[in-house]
Amino acid sequence: MKIKVNKEKCSGCHLCEMVCSLFHLGIINSGRSAIHIKKDDLDTSLNTPLLCRQCREMKCLDGEEGGRHQEKKKFIWSYKRAKRCPFDALTILGGNAYHCDLCLGNPQCIKVCTPGALTLSK
Amino acid sequence: MVLSRKIAYINLSDASVRISPVPSDLRRKFLGGRGINMHLLSKVYSQELDPFSPENPLIFGAGLLTGTIGFGSRVNITAKSPESGHLGDSNMGGDFGAELVKAGFGHLVITGKSRRPVYLMVKNKQIEIRDAGTWKELDTVETQRAIRQALRDEKIQIACIGPAGENLVRYAAIRTGLKNSAGRTGMGAVMGSKNLKAVAVRGTLDITISDPNNCLKAYRLQLKKLMETKWVQALGKYGTPLLFQYANAMGFLSIRNNQSTSIGDQGYALEAEALEPYSTGMLSCFGCPAHCRHRYSLTEGRYKGTKGEGPEYASIGSLGTKLGNLDLENIIYATELCNRYGMDTISTGSYIAWAMELYQRGIIDRGMTETPLHWGDGKAILQLIHRIAHRKGFGSILAEGAFAKKIFKELSRDYLLDIKNFPIEMTDERLPKSFALGMATSTRGACHMRSRPSLDVLGLPEEVLKKIYGGPVSSQFSSYSGKGRMVWWHELLNAVCDSLGFCRFLTVFSSPHAPQYQQFSKLIGLSTGLAMTPRELKIIGERIYTLERMMLVRDGISRKDDTLPKRYFETPIPAGPAKGEVISSEGFDGMLDEYYRLHGWDKNGIPKRESLKKLGLSG
Ligand code: SF4
Ligand code: SF4
Repeated sequence: MKIKVNKEKCSGCHLCEMVCSLFHLGIINSGRSAIHIKKDDLDTSLNTPLLCRQCREMKCLDGEEGGRHQEKKKFIWSYKRAKRCPFDALTILGGNAYHCDLCLGNPQCIKVCTPGALTLSK
Repeated sequence: MVLSRKIAYINLSDASVRISPVPSDLRRKFLGGRGINMHLLSKVYSQELDPFSPENPLIFGAGLLTGTIGFGSRVNITAKSPESGHLGDSNMGGDFGAELVKAGFGHLVITGKSRRPVYLMVKNKQIEIRDAGTWKELDTVETQRAIRQALRDEKIQIACIGPAGENLVRYAAIRTGLKNSAGRTGMGAVMGSKNLKAVAVRGTLDITISDPNNCLKAYRLQLKKLMETKWVQALGKYGTPLLFQYANAMGFLSIRNNQSTSIGDQGYALEAEALEPYSTGMLSCFGCPAHCRHRYSLTEGRYKGTKGEGPEYASIGSLGTKLGNLDLENIIYATELCNRYGMDTISTGSYIAWAMELYQRGIIDRGMTETPLHWGDGKAILQLIHRIAHRKGFGSILAEGAFAKKIFKELSRDYLLDIKNFPIEMTDERLPKSFALGMATSTRGACHMRSRPSLDVLGLPEEVLKKIYGGPVSSQFSSYSGKGRMVWWHELLNAVCDSLGFCRFLTVFSSPHAPQYQQFSKLIGLSTGLAMTPRELKIIGERIYTLERMMLVRDGISRKDDTLPKRYFETPIPAGPAKGEVISSEGFDGMLDEYYRLHGWDKNGIPKRESLKKLGLSG
């Protein structure tokens, strides 16, 4: 399961970021959400939602011991893993990175993405 | 954290910054945004206060729920207006408001005047005043780019002025992003008078939510209901230009400075569908599910290479039909110029329309205007925009807005359609009577958005209207009956909406099913922990509106000023779908009486002593 992104449709509303942090941390902070919108609001280029692609081969965990399966279910990661992500997909704030745990099976972001830029793909 | 946001008092004369908490009783009385702004302004507002003086405070206020999940994340900018000489207030979308609260601030109160151009850097509870000398004369988009580049941070949000604000054009705007503007009432000119080029904000603080789980649940339910309304679905697809078609079909559009009110089939050229070929997608402001804003690109033709956002209905009307201009590409370009210079598109169009009618009637001539001013002359319009922004020649006269009456002499007065020294917009209100009253009573001068009473155009049964408004309201929008009640009701709701940071489009605006007090009350409680009943919220709306009225009363404003341009009373609409519509003094006075009574103001429009006491506004 992963969140599929259609950036053509993203309106740049940031609602996904807000609910992601709210669901996991009980606060709202775009900088502490697993999804973040790359947006140049002074240009007319597209907005790009970025988040973990749930890769089979997890480059982010290179050199680490232990169960991938367990790590996939965690939301707060070390920023070091984010640095290893080939897609720069994770949000970093302070020493932490924020990783999409798919809300443990009940993804929140897709429910508020009104233009349908985010969908669930099995 | 929502309730611990601070107010910062910044004095640019002595470069001092004082940060203080928002007292909890102030929150309970005024919420945030426009409400608290009005409280802060009212402390210093007087008839003598010169809008361009260092003492005039320029107040930024984020709504109570700005930055949380709700229905928008807007900010109000408030000061005494150099455009009208009365109350100034303008509301702006984009991402600036949310960033301000992430930095820990709800309100910035800026007074004084800097000797050199400066900007404010607001970051995580800190505020610095910094030199902005090198950015002088940059347009509003260049300014934002320059600041982001200099500080190497693409996430900084910036509210700034362009050349129009620096040159004290009386209707200069404050701008953020490509298009968002605190457009009306000249807040950009106040900013320019303080030598303040920009306010840059960046925040990474958490916004704590009182009851996260239930807040999320309640929000999702409200969101679902809102997204099911036809209005928001259409808005998300076409944006505000969809309203153009309607106004043209019904006959309440301004054509050639309101000499007529519909262009019939010629309107196709400016309708929402005509914009489609230029559109490259739809955008949202921070936290908004509706995505009503076009992003466009002109890839060929005279204005090839122009890219931006918009144009909105208000700009299409003001820089288009109001000027007899039906060239959509020219309108898009003219809008972009105004945005770049940082100048309100509505006012710019209105003053040019005034000049064009004076020219048509021979009241002014080329001796003054330098070039011919014919209706629909796109080239002349663009040239005037440049000249106004730089205050060159005739442009400098028009940069004075309604104050140019002094220069144009007596005969010119009736051709500026203004209310309280502030020009009416892209519409003509001789047909929709609720709108007519709303324009006349708006606390910032002619403005359809103060009340925007439009549920009577939906053809709802009168029982439904009665239930919503708490009293009888006619479902005929050309009728006067109950329209005082309607305007009063929407004024209150919108004052609350602006104080929460919500967008009017997402509340009861064009759909009775959109969120209002009940839903607001729920979100406020779950987000902030403040328990406020729908009834209490409505009283807050009355408190804010009456406080605004009290400032106008200090200017000597009363019933005599709550009126409409002469043309509305004297000249029936000559042709088109609204042919023959005119405002009768009797009908108008009846609406006004009902309106004052509901507000608790006397027959002369002055808030009664006991009303002030009830609202906690006396003394
Ligand atoms: S919720 Fe959807 S439209 Fe809004 S920013 Fe996220 S991905 Fe884009
Ligand atoms: S699925 Fe859940 S964790 Fe992943 S980005 Fe969406 S809200 Fe965040």
